[in-house]
Amino acid sequence: MEQIRSLSQLLEYAKKIGAEKGPKKLSVAMAEDAGLLSAIEEARVAGIAEAILVGRKEKIEVAAKEAGVDLANYEVVDEPRGESAMAMTAVEKVSSGQAHIYMKGQLHTNHFLRGMLNKEVGLRKGKNTISHCYFHSVEGYDRVFFVADAAFNMYPDLPAKANILQNTVNFARAFGVEEPKVAVLAAVEVVNPDMPCTIDASALTQMNRRGQIKNCVVDGPFALDNAVSEESAKTKGLVSPVAGKADVLLVPDIEAGNMMVKALVYFSKNETAGLILGAAAPVILTSRADSPRAKLLSIAAAVLLSSFEEK
Amino acid sequence: MMHNLDFLLELCQTGRRMNLAVACPYGDDVLGAVCEAHKRGLINGILVGDSEQIKKKAEAHGFDLKGLSFVDEKNDYAATEKAVQMVSSKDADLLMKGFVKTAVLLHAVLNKEWGLRAGSLLSHLFLFEIPLLDRRILGISDGGMNMYPDLNAKVGIIENAVKCYHKIGVSNPLIAALGAVEVVNPDMPATLDAAALTQMNRRGQIKGCTVDGPFALDNAVSDEAARIKNIDSPVAGKADMLLVPSIEAGNMIGKVLLYMTGGRGAGVILGAKKPIVLTSRFDSMETKLLSIALGAVVASKE
Repeated sequence: MEQIRSLSQLLEYAKKIGAEKGPKKLSVAMAEDAGLLSAIEEARVAGIAEAILVGRKEKIEVAAKEAGVDLANYEVVDEPRGESAMAMTAVEKVSSGQAHIYMKGQLHTNHFLRGMLNKEVGLRKGKNTISHCYFHSVEGYDRVFFVADAAFNMYPDLPAKANILQNTVNFARAFGVEEPKVAVLAAVEVVNPDMPCTIDASALTQMNRRGQIKNCVVDGPFALDNAVSEESAKTKGLVSPVAGKADVLLVPDIEAGNMMVKALVYFSKNETAGLILGAAAPVILTSRADSPRAKLLSIAAAVLLSSFEEK
Repeated sequence: MMHNLDFLLELCQTGRRMNLAVACPYGDDVLGAVCEAHKRGLINGILVGDSEQIKKKAEAHGFDLKGLSFVDEKNDYAATEKAVQMVSSKDADLLMKGFVKTAVLLHAVLNKEWGLRAGSLLSHLFLFEIPLLDRRILGISDGGMNMYPDLNAKVGIIENAVKCYHKIGVSNPLIAALGAVEVVNPDMPATLDAAALTQMNRRGQIKGCTVDGPFALDNAVSDEAARIKNIDSPVAGKADMLLVPSIEAGNMIGKVLLYMTGGRGAGVILGAKKPIVLTSRFDSMETKLLSIALGAVVASKE
């Protein structure tokens, strides 16, 4: 497939998958919000995804009415026993194979994630680390950036970073980036024994060179500028296949990642969405603040990943 | 690539002969080696210590003292200081330890006023001939001075060794940072340091060499082992030097090479203003001569 280089292209490609293989099915926990239903309806109309809507039936009906959505096109599962039950009911639809993607609605994140991690009906995949990825198209750049983990793992140690990296690389490959270039970020591009993340970056680089992390080219440490700008890499005299060309940006911890992503979102012309990776199925964890467009893009990415993992 | 250590003897015999100040050469091992080295024209021997005692010893063992210089100093500490001072004042070009405790010698070397501090870490490098590997030469550092070097110390050890390699004619030594395995294992700190050193080299923080690691010893020195493990690296199977994680590891590899393979070696302490030759009583005469020669070659290019 051709590499997806922007989030508009992502949407187009998800439509194509839908047209060729049929739409994927979302299972939405507490689908009681009009904005959310609009995004889901848009995905349905585009032929990308269908949905099972779990929640209190009457609340879903009110939201659908507000959004102008005809519920005849959806399977609605009435679950009046509270948020925890909604999560379990919704996630069970995915683990039992009735749906492909687990999506968060209005419920609290805790309940939603507890559903995902539930040992019986959840989506745990062995001991695999579950991680979050923000993906961005930024004006002036010819490719999508994948940033991990700015939302789920707080202070990952080296083994966790290796897992996060592998999850993210797999996701980037679903975008048609055949051998993603991974920059392990720090504040500087040199190894400094007093900055532990520069040591981790070296370790990840060597793990890649020794075949312990596959299907990608890892290098680090990098400062953000020399990871994404060839000019900056050149100024620093960095010789690396990743310098200036990174697709995946692995951040050292949740603070650095979160601030970087938010600076990107608020200070640049960009499109941004997110997805949870490493579970048995793609998981969409949107926040109330996300626009319907961002939700739609997350759905498109989840569909892309789900279809990629079938191969 | 050099196939045995004889080139050190040849390098020594070209150019100016280095003056070797030996502190307290009362043991027959060191005294014998210095006399022999002097006779062969590798160095000019300067025997710093109780001249009378030295002469008696030489006579008892039939050593030829012809042409060697004497600096008479009966007290061991004073003789050691004198030998060090001769080097720092450039009356001598390199230092050798005789029958005096290593701690006493190093104490003098590290003296802030007249010692041989150069701002670097002191480290020990040993070069070995490996008859089974087509008489290839393999360096090990540090199996003699630094016990459990941290990452910064390992950088210092590599830097010292690289300067030495340049002086003996290896312009870009291939350095393998050893672990017990060739993969990065978060529970094995040596593998993490090895990875960090590799990246420091790739970022230009360690220059004049190519560093890669972690390696297990086999895939650092054997092309075949590297191939089986599918390791793609310019250093794999071709290492000139093994950076070992601890003094135990280095010491044990070194002793296997020296006593169980039939090869010879040459050792020197690096990182001071001038090299320091420190031999073991059990070293063969050949190994002692080669150590003196290595020190002299390094000294000649300081």
